[in-house]
Amino acid sequence: MTMYGHSERKSCIIKRIPKIALLKSLGIREGMLVSIVSKQPLGGPVVVKLGKRNIAIARNIAEQIQVEGA
Amino acid sequence: MQSCHKEVKIEDSPEGIKILLVGNPNVGKSVVFSKLTGLNVIASNYAGTTVSYTKGHINFNRKKGTIIDVPGVYALETTSPAEEVAIKMLDEENADVIICVLDATNLERNLNFALQIQKYNIPIVFALNLADVAKQQGITIDVSKLEEELQAPVIETVAIRNIGLKQLLNKAYDIFENPKGKASTDKKRTISEDDRWKKIGEISKRVQKLEHRHPTFMEKLGDAMLKPLIGIPIAFLVAIIMIAVVVGGGKGIRAGLLLPLLNNYYVPFITSLVSMFVTEGLIYNILVGDFGVLILGIEWPFALVLPYVFFFYIALSFLEDSGYLPRFGVLIDTVLRKIGMQGGSAIPIMMGYGCAIPAILGTRAATTKKERIIVATVVSVAVPCTAQTGAFIALLGAHSAWMLATVFLFSFVGILLSGLFVNKILPGEVEPMLLEIPNLLVPDAKTLFKKIMMRTRSYILEGATPMILGVLFASLVVETNALKYVAVYIEPLIVDWLGLPREATIGLVLGVIRRELAVLPLIEMNLTSLQLLVGSVVALFYLPCLAVMGVLIREFRLKVALLIGGSTFVIAFVVGGLLNHTVRIVSGIF
Repeated sequence: MTMYGHSERKSCIIKRIPKIALLKSLGIREGMLVSIVSKQPLGGPVVVKLGKRNIAIARNIAEQIQVEGA
Repeated sequence: MQSCHKEVKIEDSPEGIKILLVGNPNVGKSVVFSKLTGLNVIASNYAGTTVSYTKGHINFNRKKGTIIDVPGVYALETTSPAEEVAIKMLDEENADVIICVLDATNLERNLNFALQIQKYNIPIVFALNLADVAKQQGITIDVSKLEEELQAPVIETVAIRNIGLKQLLNKAYDIFENPKGKASTDKKRTISEDDRWKKIGEISKRVQKLEHRHPTFMEKLGDAMLKPLIGIPIAFLVAIIMIAVVVGGGKGIRAGLLLPLLNNYYVPFITSLVSMFVTEGLIYNILVGDFGVLILGIEWPFALVLPYVFFFYIALSFLEDSGYLPRFGVLIDTVLRKIGMQGGSAIPIMMGYGCAIPAILGTRAATTKKERIIVATVVSVAVPCTAQTGAFIALLGAHSAWMLATVFLFSFVGILLSGLFVNKILPGEVEPMLLEIPNLLVPDAKTLFKKIMMRTRSYILEGATPMILGVLFASLVVETNALKYVAVYIEPLIVDWLGLPREATIGLVLGVIRRELAVLPLIEMNLTSLQLLVGSVVALFYLPCLAVMGVLIREFRLKVALLIGGSTFVIAFVVGGLLNHTVRIVSGIF
């Protein structure tokens, strides 16, 4: 399942990420546990919580991130 | 505000040690810098506040030194002009010591950067900042274990409250004067990215203890602001409160304090003072006549505009330091994407309502040139600066709030259309959003106060002086009747096309110098409602001030600057004239 398709308020574990250097720097890496805080309407970004920090990720990046429910 | 963004040429000074202040974005480098050097630099609660470097001198226990505040970077890769600056400085500055600021609430990610800068073989002291917030969040970090892992000193700091900074500097001098373990850093080889992350995972496991805490009210509020159903109403509420603070506060101070002071005490005093030395005539009129420089030159910058500038900066600084702005950026990303920007660019646009210069410099945090040009264009064309907003309120507020709202409606439509247009003509895609949202905080009162004062002072120093000179120029033109000769050429444009009186030419001439000077002269003319509206709309879209043109040239070269400047000019006259004629035709029918 992709991160964008994952339902709100649920946690998931990141399985695969696209090759975008900034993602890793922000802590979005394989094996990390994140929860989906919100999804903006009309194809807007999705906000995920990683530890205590929120990160906004554009739809087309979130669609390339594979996750698994936790 | 320019002063804090000035790029200082860095020369190799023999003055003590050279310290580079580096770290991830929004970990508090600028706060550390301000506290160590006593220099004021703008610090805010979001990534990318510092887009250029600032140099400051220190004198610590009679030892001299230079500290350079470097823009924050996530990794040693260049994606934006601000990051290019940072990497270039690490490569070329030959620093003696690096102070690397780490965010204790976000250790893993900060360690990634910490491990990367070790390859420079420059002695490093780590500042483990935000130690207080980390404790609140249930994060405990074993400092001596971390020192062991990093093979470098680590000092816990709470920069905003001056905690740990002395020890930090002490340590920096110490490792410079007594270099040790140099051999061990030399041996450090660059490890592969995967190995690095593995190492980071191991280090954090060893040094960090996490204790589950229930989310605080601020954490819950911060999350709620990111959910459209709650966040969008909150955004409207924030906007309404902001307008109320700026318009209400500004008007209150102006009408309740400044105008009475001016009209009852200052004007009679200065008029009688001048009449003691000067007899009525040309010079008398230039000094204290209708356009007298000693009257309007004081009234405009200080009684009409200053109150709004002051209250705007209260509101903006509060929003910046609270960490609200990036949340607003996420909500508005979908809209801004349509006009070629990421949600994060909402921040420089908001700053543009203060002053266009920091807004344009702030675009350096954007990753593409296209996005930088779009933001710069939008801000130059359609975003009134706070001084101009003050002038609009002074001009229109007395007539009707609706007219004021109409001018701002023109501003919003102008933002959308100019963004849309530039997005169409420039090639390239909008970069997808990838933005870290800072913790929502209650701003620190002392820091906030300093920031507001710093910005207000820079308005007084850098804004009021050109305004006074502008008034002097206007009074010379009016009193010597020079306008008659100039106006002949532009009269058809001003009178026939825009429907404004001939004297309005003064505003358009002065408007080249500063934005609000295109508006203020209209106050002194008895204009009809339509003329007020047309005059305001022309002033809104008209050239940004001279200083802004200078910044545009510096940032984007002459060609782009002239294109932006030229189009503001054309837009102002086309829109103003169409508005004038449309309203006339429509009101003629009914």
